[in-house]
Amino acid sequence: MRRRGAASATAIRMARVLLPRSRKPVSLFISLAGVLIAFALNATPAMALSLNPDAASPGIEDANTLHWILFVVILAVIVVVNLAILKAARPRSRAVTPKPGRKVSQVKLAIGLGVFALALFVVATVFSDKSREIPAVNAEPVAGQVKGEPLEITATGSQWLWRFNYPNGAFSYRRLTVPAGVTVQLDLVSTDVVHGWNVPELTGKAQAIPGKTNKVYFRADDPGVYTSRSSVLSGQGYDTMEIEVNVVSPEEYEAAIEELKTDIQDAQDKVEAQFKAERDKSEAAADQVGKAETNNDAESAEAE
Amino acid sequence: MSRTTSYPQTMPPTRPEISSDGPEPARTRWAQLATSADHKDIGRILVSVAFGSIFLAALELLLMRAQLAVPENVFLKGVTFDRLLSVYGETAIFLVALPLIIGLLYYVVPLQIGSRTTAIPRVGQTGLWLFIFGGILLYGSFLFTPPEAGINPLPPFSDATFNPNNGVDVWIGSTGLITLGLLMVAIDLLATLHNLRAPGMAWRRAPLFTWAGAIVTWLFVVIAPIFLAAISMLMIDRLYDGGFFAGDEGGSPILWQHLSYIFFTGVYMSVAITFLAAIGEIVQTFTGRELPRKAVTRSFVAIAIIGTLAWTQNMLTVPIPSGWKYFGMLMSLALIVPFGLIFYNLISTVSQSDFHMRAPLRFALGALSLASIGLAAEIAQSTIAVATQLSETYDAWAATHFTLIGFVLFGGFAAVTYWYPKMTGRQLNEDRAAKSFGLMFVGTIIALLPLFAAGVSGQVTDSYRYFSFEDLGVYNLIAGIGTLILFVGIVLAIGNLVASRSEEPAATPDPYRGDSLEWLALSPPPAHNFDVLPDVHSTRPMRDIREAVIRRDAETAAAEDAAPVSA
Repeated sequence: MRRRGAASATAIRMARVLLPRSRKPVSLFISLAGVLIAFALNATPAMALSLNPDAASPGIEDANTLHWILFVVILAVIVVVNLAILKAARPRSRAVTPKPGRKVSQVKLAIGLGVFALALFVVATVFSDKSREIPAVNAEPVAGQVKGEPLEITATGSQWLWRFNYPNGAFSYRRLTVPAGVTVQLDLVSTDVVHGWNVPELTGKAQAIPGKTNKVYFRADDPGVYTSRSSVLSGQGYDTMEIEVNVVSPEEYEAAIEELKTDIQDAQDKVEAQFKAERDKSEAAADQVGKAETNNDAESAEAE
Repeated sequence: MSRTTSYPQTMPPTRPEISSDGPEPARTRWAQLATSADHKDIGRILVSVAFGSIFLAALELLLMRAQLAVPENVFLKGVTFDRLLSVYGETAIFLVALPLIIGLLYYVVPLQIGSRTTAIPRVGQTGLWLFIFGGILLYGSFLFTPPEAGINPLPPFSDATFNPNNGVDVWIGSTGLITLGLLMVAIDLLATLHNLRAPGMAWRRAPLFTWAGAIVTWLFVVIAPIFLAAISMLMIDRLYDGGFFAGDEGGSPILWQHLSYIFFTGVYMSVAITFLAAIGEIVQTFTGRELPRKAVTRSFVAIAIIGTLAWTQNMLTVPIPSGWKYFGMLMSLALIVPFGLIFYNLISTVSQSDFHMRAPLRFALGALSLASIGLAAEIAQSTIAVATQLSETYDAWAATHFTLIGFVLFGGFAAVTYWYPKMTGRQLNEDRAAKSFGLMFVGTIIALLPLFAAGVSGQVTDSYRYFSFEDLGVYNLIAGIGTLILFVGIVLAIGNLVASRSEEPAATPDPYRGDSLEWLALSPPPAHNFDVLPDVHSTRPMRDIREAVIRRDAETAAAEDAAPVSA
């Protein structure tokens, strides 16, 4: 115990040499402010008040608006509370005894805080409801879409790849192609572990849980490519479990999934053709062997 | 030390048959500690283990931040990162936060209520050893396979199919032993609280920290069995194909999320209550003013109930009925009322009074500052629309860490420096404490503030690397530097706790002129705590005793003056 104490005391003595000698906490806050300013200057433009830069689906705009409101509220709370703490911690001069402040009724304070909390809840509920609304369904259905219903696509999470099943039977891995201006219902399912579906610009996050279907709705109004990655730890390949959503015009979408379907059919045909060829070959070989065996049998019989 | 006390160092024993000077113990100190069922020994072991584990958790955090400092780093392998992450999470929750709150409560609360012992000491002792074996199991697993399924190992990922090695079994075993052990300690404390209070120590006179002890142990008695049930189901799933959490066999993976998040949210709230109460004690002692007891204790009860009911706040992206999501949101936002009340009362009390800044108060104000940032940031995490954007990112990580580093680390150092003279019998070096506080405070802010920005830019947690095209390098580099500063601060602060024990002068029983009964006992208290059990007549029993002593001294002096000294 004594030796350990001596060792840590030596460490502290070394640190005392390294640290600024000023006893005032001001130096502390100046150094802190310096680091934070350097950080602000170096940060990328996305940092500018730290909100999502893009909202490509109607619901996400509401989420971003709510985030703006809450960001201002949170910043105000943090600034007010911490200024009060700094004021409370100010050094006292012995000559002046502080006046006891006026008594605040705890009940009134609780009611005030309750009204504040309730107001936040109402605002959050309004915006959350709006962001969860199913976007208005397009008038002209695209291929595979029931009129008046959203276009239904299934996203299946597996370790460590997303698979997307389109209504015409085609499927793709990693890259989801969706038509612009069309409301899409994405059914999130999983074949193995919990996966985190995560496309901030279109849907936000939603977990794909085995045995359960999690539905998210979005309508991407402009063509574009949105890349992201899964958000729930799912094993060794988690960091490479990417998602790419490719928003194209409805015509391009129809062409793309038709092409996918024909490609898949072609691949299937090729596999079957190859399988058939191999089976024929092996059957032929087996026949020859059979013939050779019968020949051998015949020869041996003759020999006997 | 401007406020020296005139109070005598030892109370003259009024009942001579009870003396604190017993015969010398026959066994060595470590053997005595290892076999002790005394609440002070058990509490000190728990707190010491917690501080040792703070060092381990900080080291693991530093390694992870070093890996994430630059994009596409190859410092750690993915599996190593996952193991560090899982062990870090378990260390921070089960080896730091829980033993620190339970240990502090178990040490201080029996002294505060004027009890000579705990009600069922053998239960507490058994609990301590279960806890220690849990800790040994977790760190012993580095010899074979440490857990690697994340901070909260969600089934089916934590099932035997996807995690066939022993990592998750170690997680289940160690968290189970630790939770069961601390539950037993909590039960002992609860029985003590309800049965062994000093005469006159009614609930309306009990100190804030005692109130926190009652609320936290009751809460722990509710949530710990839920967690034990959940990990038992996970164990049955893993070892015997139970199917509790298997989606295709009649179970549900969502069940695990409900059960585990009820426990983790309850732990979060226990931590907040315990350290807010400790900060309340510190503020009352150093300012000499009383907090409004009714408002503060009712706020603690509200935090315990409402806060634990807010568990679905963690599940806003999970396919559960949306009613539950709105319920979680309502409960989380309702927490603004109790937290706001307590923060207001603590800060305004400090602001309106005259005091000397000492290490415990410094750490307490730092804790309030950091926790205010984290709790405010949780507002955004609690709303459904924003949570679909920001949950599972470093924004959520930073919010949780601001709150928990604020409460556990700073609140923990505040509480331990405050009760340090009582626990060790030595004073604490104030100068070193102030310096380590500065380093830790600056380090925490630099380590966590950039992560808010990283989270909003879309960096997901639990991933061992990110790519340069994601533009996250700046935030993570600054966070890494901040973590290094924090780590150095933690090492110095722990070093100060160790070094002060051998270097600093002895402490008096009542170094701060505190108001609660733990300051009546000697520093460190003898095995039976008190020679004399006082009658409690008010919420400030120690002040009553001090006044009585002064009165008695004056009476004695007057009597001596009156009686002429015979020559």
